[in-house]
Amino acid sequence: MLLKLAWRNIWRNSRRSILVLISAIVGLIAILLYESLSMGMIHQMLGNQIGSHVTHIQIHKNGFNDNKIIQNNIADAQEITAALDSENRIKHYSERVLSYGILSSASSASGILLAGVVPDQEAQVTIIKQSLEEGRYLSGEKHEIVIGQKLAEKLEVGLGDKVVAMASSLDGDIGSDVFRVVGIYRTFSSDFDRVHGFVALENLQEMLDFGTRISEVAILLENANASQSVASILKETLGDRYEVLPYQELLPLLVMQVDVSRQAMFVFYAIIGIAMIFGIINTMLMSVLERIQEFGVLMAVGMKNRRLFNMVLLEALLLGITGTIIGLILGYLCYLPLATNGMDLRNFSDGLGALGIGAIIYPELTPQSVVNAALIVPIFSVLGAIYPAIRAVRLNPISAIRHV
Amino acid sequence: MSTIRTVDLEKTYSDNGVPVHALRGVSIEVEEGEFTVIAGPSGSGKTTLLNMIGALDTPTRGKVFLDGEDISELNRNELGELRLKKIGFVFQAYNLIPVLSALENIEFTMMLAGVPEKERHERAFAAMEKLHIAELAKKRPNEMSGGQQQRVAVARAVVNNPTIILADEPTANLDSETGADLLDMMETMNREHNITFIFSSHDPQVIDRARRLLILKDGKIAEDRR
Repeated sequence: MLLKLAWRNIWRNSRRSILVLISAIVGLIAILLYESLSMGMIHQMLGNQIGSHVTHIQIHKNGFNDNKIIQNNIADAQEITAALDSENRIKHYSERVLSYGILSSASSASGILLAGVVPDQEAQVTIIKQSLEEGRYLSGEKHEIVIGQKLAEKLEVGLGDKVVAMASSLDGDIGSDVFRVVGIYRTFSSDFDRVHGFVALENLQEMLDFGTRISEVAILLENANASQSVASILKETLGDRYEVLPYQELLPLLVMQVDVSRQAMFVFYAIIGIAMIFGIINTMLMSVLERIQEFGVLMAVGMKNRRLFNMVLLEALLLGITGTIIGLILGYLCYLPLATNGMDLRNFSDGLGALGIGAIIYPELTPQSVVNAALIVPIFSVLGAIYPAIRAVRLNPISAIRHV
Repeated sequence: MSTIRTVDLEKTYSDNGVPVHALRGVSIEVEEGEFTVIAGPSGSGKTTLLNMIGALDTPTRGKVFLDGEDISELNRNELGELRLKKIGFVFQAYNLIPVLSALENIEFTMMLAGVPEKERHERAFAAMEKLHIAELAKKRPNEMSGGQQQRVAVARAVVNNPTIILADEPTANLDSETGADLLDMMETMNREHNITFIFSSHDPQVIDRARRLLILKDGKIAEDRR
């Protein structure tokens, strides 16, 4: 009955209540869109990094991640691949040789990270093959190289042009080889495209006098969330000679950014909540002051302070819940087309490319963010009603009844 | 044992720093089943006395006993509890809750007293039938006449089976015919169910029906007629 009374009280001044509802609804839509957009953007950044090169887990010789010299190599990958084959959460893996060096064309030169890969393996773990803008992917033959568009622009080379790669070989000499550009790719990150070149694994091994050694094994899992648990199992199996790093350790800055962005959401919640709380205080205070005589009667007939207090809070809570339901529905309806078609930010795509994001951002709404958004308005509504409720219970029943 | 007993009741208000002596030593006893009217000119202290008896206000000096219990020392919540269980109020301005129907208004005090939903529904309906207002059950206060609203207010006051019903100028906003109907109804309840009524009024038709008349003057009992 108290619920019925509270609900009807809300609609005694429907215009005022609708105004509060509108502010709650607009706030909620803003929260949903902002949160889904920022989460979508960060996940896209993370996804692009994982997809273009990092993968979910990397295994190296211990110390490689801190000091990426070719002397830190894996002499025999068989022990590792055997361990990988026995773990069914692993989808694919790719063996790589990595070396920093210089790539020069007839007109220019640039520092690059040269990756020797087994084309079929690499195509399963990264998106380079799908990101080709011109030409074709590595066939596994020698003297073929696939480079990023930005690098091609810098070196002023196109398909079929020759380039020379130079890098320090295992014994300390300079190893070099001539490659023909067979493919030019473009990922979401212009930085990545500027420094990564891909050649056949055996070709690079030969150029660097590497024998059958490799630098790393990059692993793609069925489910990214398992990265830490799979990494710890592999670490146990393989012992201290190798470092097994999940992407969280490989991309600490980006992972931190995810956390920071989640925390920033709470600041955003607080801003929306505080903006709303004043509306609620105002509305509930007006509503209490208009009903002084009625509160006096309620007290006279025996309504206890706690109940009266709760009734005022309940009115605000109902108002908040109503706003939340409508706000979530409308917010979801705004989100749905954006999530399906993406938000086209092509005008800003140069800047976004530098950040490692694509030109089209797909907002992402997680159950957690919906729950957070659903709680925010009712919580602040109740907080905003505390002061008006205190005013209500402080009334003296006799003077309240006589109040006109 | 008397239902109500006041001993040397005094109440002093401060009106902008000037002390106003609303009651100056009122000692009365009201027995169960009495139909008492407190009368007197404006400012004589009628409403103040009614508020003291109704546990709405506490005395400056003196004591109020309800069913033998000293209520002058109770705190706000205890007074609330006492009003809920032992006192029914009928106000001059009816004071029904505007967003509730007549039936819901009558059920409301029972809800506060923790009566289960089914029982309070039955009791509210029974009270409405007894007071011949069953057809008003679904109407809201703004759809009822003043007389109808005051009947609903009486039903609200009686339905919790209080020890006494206090009516502060219950006919003041009603025309004489409607007022007479209302008083008929209250008299019947008093006679048939032995409910104790205390009125504060200066309406002659209320005073005429009093079986006991207390006349207040300047905060003192000037006359106690039975």
